[in-house]
Amino acid sequence: MLSKRFIALFSLFAVLVVSLGIASAQDEKLIVAGWSSNPEEDAMLSALLVQFTEDTGIEAEFVPSPDFPTTMQTAFASGDYPNVFYIDSSKLPDWVEAGVVAVGEGELENPEGFYPSLLNTFTYDGVLYCAPKDYSTLALQYNKDLFDAAGVEYPTAEWTWDDLMAAAEKLTDKDANVVGLVTPPDLNRWLPFLYQEGGAIFDEEGNYVMDSEAAKTALEYYISFSTGGFGGTADSVDAGWGGEAFGKGNTAMAMEGNWVINFLLQNYPDLNWGVAELPMGSVGKATMAFTVCFAVGADNNNPEASWQLVNYLTGEAGQMKTAEVSFGPMPSRGSAAQTYLERWEEPAKGTKFDVADVGAFVIGAEYAYPWQLPVGFQPFVDAFNSSLQKAFTGEMTADEVLAEAQAAAEEVMSQVE
Amino acid sequence: MATVTQTQAAPGGLSRHTVMRILSGIGIVFLVFFAFIQFMPFVLTIANSFKCLPAAEQVPQAFIPVPPFNIECRGGGGAMLPADATTEGVTFNSTVEGYNNIFEFDLPRWFINTAIYALAITLFRVVFDSMAGYALARLSFPGNRVMFFMMLGTMMIPGVVLLIPRFIILRQLGMLNTYQGVVFALAADAFGVFLMKQFFESVPKEIEEAGQVDGASHFTIFFRIILPMATPALTALTIFSFQGTWNNFMDVLIIVGGKPDLYNLPLGLALLRGQFGDTLEWNTFLAGAVITTLPLALVFFMFQRYFVEGISYSGVKG
Amino acid sequence: MTDALYPDKDKNKEPQYKTLAQKRMEEIITGYTFLAPAMIVFVIFLVLPIVFAIFISFTDWNGITPLAQTVAGASGQVEFTNPSGETVTVPMGTAVIKAGEDGIRYLTQAEIQVPANGTAIVAVVAADITQGKDTNAAKSLLKDIEGPLSEVLEVKNLAPITGGLDDAFKMEGLDNYTRLLLQDGLAQKDFFTAFKNTLYFVLGVVPVQTILALLLAVVLNQKWLKARGLFRTVYYFPSITSSVVISLIFMWMFSRSGIINVVLSGLFPNYDPVTWLNDSNGLIHNLLGVFGITRQTVGEWATTRIVGLTAWDWISGPSVTMFTIMILNTWTTIGTLMVIFLAALQNISPEVYEAAQIDGATAWQTFRRITVPLLAPTTFFVVTLGLIGTFQVFDQVFVISSGGPAKTTITIAYIVYQNGFKNSEMGLAAASAIILFGIIFVFTMIQRRITSEHTA
Repeated sequence: MLSKRFIALFSLFAVLVVSLGIASAQDEKLIVAGWSSNPEEDAMLSALLVQFTEDTGIEAEFVPSPDFPTTMQTAFASGDYPNVFYIDSSKLPDWVEAGVVAVGEGELENPEGFYPSLLNTFTYDGVLYCAPKDYSTLALQYNKDLFDAAGVEYPTAEWTWDDLMAAAEKLTDKDANVVGLVTPPDLNRWLPFLYQEGGAIFDEEGNYVMDSEAAKTALEYYISFSTGGFGGTADSVDAGWGGEAFGKGNTAMAMEGNWVINFLLQNYPDLNWGVAELPMGSVGKATMAFTVCFAVGADNNNPEASWQLVNYLTGEAGQMKTAEVSFGPMPSRGSAAQTYLERWEEPAKGTKFDVADVGAFVIGAEYAYPWQLPVGFQPFVDAFNSSLQKAFTGEMTADEVLAEAQAAAEEVMSQVE
Repeated sequence: MATVTQTQAAPGGLSRHTVMRILSGIGIVFLVFFAFIQFMPFVLTIANSFKCLPAAEQVPQAFIPVPPFNIECRGGGGAMLPADATTEGVTFNSTVEGYNNIFEFDLPRWFINTAIYALAITLFRVVFDSMAGYALARLSFPGNRVMFFMMLGTMMIPGVVLLIPRFIILRQLGMLNTYQGVVFALAADAFGVFLMKQFFESVPKEIEEAGQVDGASHFTIFFRIILPMATPALTALTIFSFQGTWNNFMDVLIIVGGKPDLYNLPLGLALLRGQFGDTLEWNTFLAGAVITTLPLALVFFMFQRYFVEGISYSGVKG
Repeated sequence: MTDALYPDKDKNKEPQYKTLAQKRMEEIITGYTFLAPAMIVFVIFLVLPIVFAIFISFTDWNGITPLAQTVAGASGQVEFTNPSGETVTVPMGTAVIKAGEDGIRYLTQAEIQVPANGTAIVAVVAADITQGKDTNAAKSLLKDIEGPLSEVLEVKNLAPITGGLDDAFKMEGLDNYTRLLLQDGLAQKDFFTAFKNTLYFVLGVVPVQTILALLLAVVLNQKWLKARGLFRTVYYFPSITSSVVISLIFMWMFSRSGIINVVLSGLFPNYDPVTWLNDSNGLIHNLLGVFGITRQTVGEWATTRIVGLTAWDWISGPSVTMFTIMILNTWTTIGTLMVIFLAALQNISPEVYEAAQIDGATAWQTFRRITVPLLAPTTFFVVTLGLIGTFQVFDQVFVISSGGPAKTTITIAYIVYQNGFKNSEMGLAAASAIILFGIIFVFTMIQRRITSEHTA
């Protein structure tokens, strides 16, 4: 009878399910949480943890999350979170203010070995919180074949805004669906130009200063690539992002970070490309640093071991090992920079890429600005990006974009008590 | 009389027969066209899962495999074969590289976990939801309407905002990172109860009344009479529950996010896709997608034949 | 005599009939028993979280700070035993220094100086129950002390004896709701943009998917159709694929050089490829543009602001990208709804159709006069599901557009996510969710009225 069968099956399953799920014992091992970057990097991290256990006897496990922001926030809210975890520089203010990050001052070994700009990024209210694990900077990728065909000189470290614009103009070929430069409608891609002009979003006292002449100049310059027809968003040339457009040859130049190296070497090995530093504005050079750190949780059942682990992973030896298999990000210690450069020799074999060009990314650390805004400024970013998109199509002017951004910033700042 | 009516011409000159023919003709065209639209993306998905990466990214898309099948994607020296080496127009050479890649990951385990969750939860839901649906449809007890509206209301809240509180509750219950946690949290769903309630409401009351006259308890009536005749609804419920659970990402993430051994297929695939865009190749990812989808298609195909006339309550010859 | 009629009846038992009261009781008990398992699951995993969410909607919680955590406030006194063994009461956050010959000193942060001999042993009194922000503040105190620190004695975590605890959140009353609905500002603007987008989405998708699903089910229910099973499976395919995968496939198909544009270019020679996924122009705007009505040429009235958006904005229609997502959503949901209609069609007795045939009804008449009314409860069900589903559209927006371009694909459910998980404003997120609930509820009730009026 249907009902008897149901009940029998049902109880069988109930038993099966219950017996299968034996709750995991609460180990004393350290949990390291992050996201999965790529199989080799993950494997290296796990290997380092195994090594750590051998050396210290402390168990540690890397648990990458399929959706890191969600799982971390949920864990924080419940009060039960991992011992060690990644923090992206843009998230640092929020998480520190929430009280879930332990102070790193005095806990880090050889902090002088890290690039100062990175340490600054992870210093909040004058206190250092975590150890930078790696970083990526933006640089200028250029397609040598397209440059040769158009008779334009390759970019150098001395290039200015005018050089960039002139080259973009010459290299645009509408019929062939090629633009000079892909300009993503993102605040974090425009900021280098703002800084290169000497502008900023905030001054030292925390006042909003983006309503400046420098900002207007920088913004108008950036927008003019789109409105002038020699640049624009990636999808105006049928690509999902600048790297893809560049790889396919639909743009002569792109402004991407280190992540583009592996992407291009793997997928477009025949591409004849090089990398130069971003051009200078009237005040100087600037680029963005996208960086992540290893942090220790504030509410921690084993803080000493956690710091030990962090130092192990970001110490000289750990950095060298990660640099060897890095699929993009650069080590945060200068001592491992050479290892990082050499790491690319193998994959670059058989391609036309000169590994020395990677130096353009590395040197960015000297004049890079962090991608980090105060707590609560996400709406500001959203408003700016949304307006910028409209400016690209000519619907808004640079002044209007800045005005919208300022209104958003003022509203956010009045919200914070 | 019947015969006369059937051959009688309707006003306007067209016989009913002809109209039916025309409508059938349009119907067929409609069906095939629609089927094409529904199916084309999958043809492309399956095709691309069998391509080498550069070919998979190329536009326009090739979707007809031709010999040689099962090629190697890397030529001499280890470099990837470019797109035009493996495709030509709409034809391409197939390879199992995507599938090889994906099996290097924990795919079998994810598959088994997904199956366990889907089977267990579906079983629970079929039982719990139909019982609850029947109670709300046919039994009168204080709070009947209130419970229904409360249940309906739970469907109207975006799940995103419930993630954190559910996590906290599960943690309190000690059910995080366990199989039981996943199964019990999803063991009943408002949608299923609503579905069953609708169907039970359409069952004529005479049947139950007949049972009651015979002195049967509501319990017996339900399990012996009503349930067996609700096959179409139960089939629908089984299909939906199985499929919903199989593809569930957010809920499972919250419950077992801390234990990769318990991940299901959607979580596993998301892990491979990485945080910053596609670090996984398109063809490998699609191979994973195909493996995830096919069992569901099979389950559906097996069950959909229960939507056949004749297995209905009325006992009238079909 | 009765014995002959019921030979099996046990003579020793009471008569089998029950009293009315007993019957009622039995029904009630059965009702609760049947409802219990599902209800337990719902209460624990749905109702409680919802109550929690409602509570949070009245606070300013950021969604990150552990709820149980308390942070030392500025006021408040703590009692502790100092290094000399005395029990003293000091304000929270005081640094206790025992330095050389100076004995024990209590310094506020402003007064911290390094003792003359350059070493210090510091014990800092904290008042946090978990090591949180306050310990950090304590450590930053230490940082300001120049000269070598010999040792940190201990960092105590003590509960204050009077006042001064700040919680992870503060009660804000109706502030979140006001910010979303009434107060001029970004929150309101975003919310009503989301509301507008969601409304167009719902009004566009629900009727279309319901009608198409019904038609499909009717056609696939015909006995004469061979390979019904195969067709049904094919139609159901999109519904069984995870929304992430489907979204990715769609992104790829609708890219500027994707299949869709290729086909359209083939059909219409003058077709200018549309950037489906990055076009923020509203459809109604485009339509009006054909007639020469644009933002510039339409009258002054169009610039009046209604809750943060101009009148012109309100009549934009869904953007091209939103339209693409609408197609995607319809395409995936039709299969599920078709299955529901199929199951319902099974419940219609074939006798009814036979009778209709005898009466000479045409196929269309049969459909309209018999099938549709008989399916009314199912239609109500399907439309309700449609409303609930479309009002909560989130997955596809998340994968495909993240609310862009230019915020034209932001939906209310996405606003909930954005506020809760990106802007660190869980209180606002919860309030948005409750408001969405209210909207869906109202629409469902309206729909119910309409449907029950139709069922004669």
